[in-house]
Amino acid sequence: MLRKDVNDLLTLTGPGTAMGDLFRQYWMPALLAEELAEDDCPPVRVKLLSERLIAFRDSKGRYGLIDEFCAHRGVSLWFGRNEEGGLRCPYHGWKYDVTGQCISVPSEPEESGFCQKIKLRSYPLIRIGDILWTHMGDAAQRPPEPQWEFAHVPPEQTFTSKRWQESNWLQAMEGGIDSSHVSWLHSGALNSDPLFKGARGNRYNHGDMRPHFEVVEADGGLFIGARRNAEDGKYYWRITPWVMPSFTMIPPRGDHPVHGHFWVPIDDQNCWAWSFDYHPVRALTREERTAMQDGFGIHVKYAPGTYRPLANKDNDYLMDRAAQKRGETFSGVDGIAMQDASLQESMGPIVDRTKENLVSTDNGIIMARHRLRKAVEALRDKAVVPPGVDPAHHRVRSASVVLDPDIAFVDACKDDLKVRPGVKQSSV
Amino acid sequence: MNAPTLLSSCAHAAGAAEARFRVDYPNARARASRIVALDDGAAAVMRQVAHEDWDGARFLTFRAARSAPGIAGLTLDATLAAEDGEETRLSAELEGADVVVMIASAGHGAEGAAVVGNACSVRSIMTAGLIVAPRRDDPGVERAVQVLRPHAAVLVIASDPDFVPAMLTALRA
Repeated sequence: MLRKDVNDLLTLTGPGTAMGDLFRQYWMPALLAEELAEDDCPPVRVKLLSERLIAFRDSKGRYGLIDEFCAHRGVSLWFGRNEEGGLRCPYHGWKYDVTGQCISVPSEPEESGFCQKIKLRSYPLIRIGDILWTHMGDAAQRPPEPQWEFAHVPPEQTFTSKRWQESNWLQAMEGGIDSSHVSWLHSGALNSDPLFKGARGNRYNHGDMRPHFEVVEADGGLFIGARRNAEDGKYYWRITPWVMPSFTMIPPRGDHPVHGHFWVPIDDQNCWAWSFDYHPVRALTREERTAMQDGFGIHVKYAPGTYRPLANKDNDYLMDRAAQKRGETFSGVDGIAMQDASLQESMGPIVDRTKENLVSTDNGIIMARHRLRKAVEALRDKAVVPPGVDPAHHRVRSASVVLDPDIAFVDACKDDLKVRPGVKQSSV
Repeated sequence: MNAPTLLSSCAHAAGAAEARFRVDYPNARARASRIVALDDGAAAVMRQVAHEDWDGARFLTFRAARSAPGIAGLTLDATLAAEDGEETRLSAELEGADVVVMIASAGHGAEGAAVVGNACSVRSIMTAGLIVAPRRDDPGVERAVQVLRPHAAVLVIASDPDFVPAMLTALRA
């Protein structure tokens, strides 16, 4: 249970909100690089943290993320012409560069310098890996660039997708650190999904439906260990890192690529679920990449021409009761990502946490909320930089291991939970 | 004939407009929560929050194991101290309890964890273990983990004592 005032504190991320200010401390995924594929390509509407923006790539390959609306009469610059070093409003020809600076007002004499007085709000947009990242906070406090491993391995080793989720970011993120649902909701997929099946660890998931949990604070957030029984009195551990505010990694299975998510607020009732897969030491196989593109694993099939899942609210997520009855899927919804998203969206746009009845095994979620609240308050009241801003906090990995029963996972796996260039993930 | 026909009978009911039609009522009865400090350090942390407005939670401190007629083969009970200092018995406190939160500080709590944990286990009572330690690298944390792990469905290591009321609120204690 969470009091309404605390629920509001953690879920509302628009301008002027405390949680919005927290998100503005970080570099966040804004677009896939494929959305601005070439110089002078069409601009793209972007909404992040309840701000409507327009992204474009100018004639020299520079990326810009600026206020969507022309300063003259408020026209959306999505209709703009991206040409000759800027984005020109088609209404009266006002033109803006990637910093939002107006560089042309055709109705006024050039020598008047009028256009110098016009500047749209803008944010930096940089490419790292397959993603264009932005920082929407104070430029004077801009942190070093992000160091997430999936974005820094060679391109042939990584794949990223994004999908629109019609819910607040927090309930989506909480799904990412809720290991206990895997043995239920995703039980069918562990046997059938090409990016999950075949791992020895799957047997432990199926064999022990009542995992025990240990929650340990990390510099950047948490490590959440889910422990299940293995052979000879040993424990199978699945260790999920959460880095504040919204980065989660899924413990790996066998030699399958490692997956994870960013959960980025679009507004208070919608978020982007960013989903990545990478292998630290080898290229993704053609079969793996094809499976990801076809919506297997944590990715989805799209409604054509969009980043909206093909299975969505409008079609009841393509519910298949016969597959549910046969046991192929537990909920009747196909695909791991939409199994999660359908249920999280069903909670309502912002779940009313005053009504929930948490149990002791929900303590990973309880601790994550607590740390978020503390960080929000420390930033708001004392200007303390929150965990997860420091790039050192990004260099984490998930892990799945079998350990003797009397060992603390966080000590035994100290190296497994760090990025080690050239060393493969620790996985069962 | 199962196709949704009204807004409220399809997935769009998850939208903001339909959220206001959710049935508004208390969907759970009050839980009987027992918070047990396993050592003096934990008791000091517990005292900081015991006076707050809880939904029936009882705050107790482990004093000593004591032999007792067995329940499901157990031969140990325990003496606990209630908030007012009165002594009480673990077996009495566990009657009707829904959840037991055991709190330990680094390096302590071994005897109490086993007695309380086993007593909860034979009664199928939900358990949580909480180790409050300012420093994760304190060697005592590892010892506390080892003694609590067999007896708690979840084990949390928290550096911040403020997590105690946050956890108890979340669990509707």
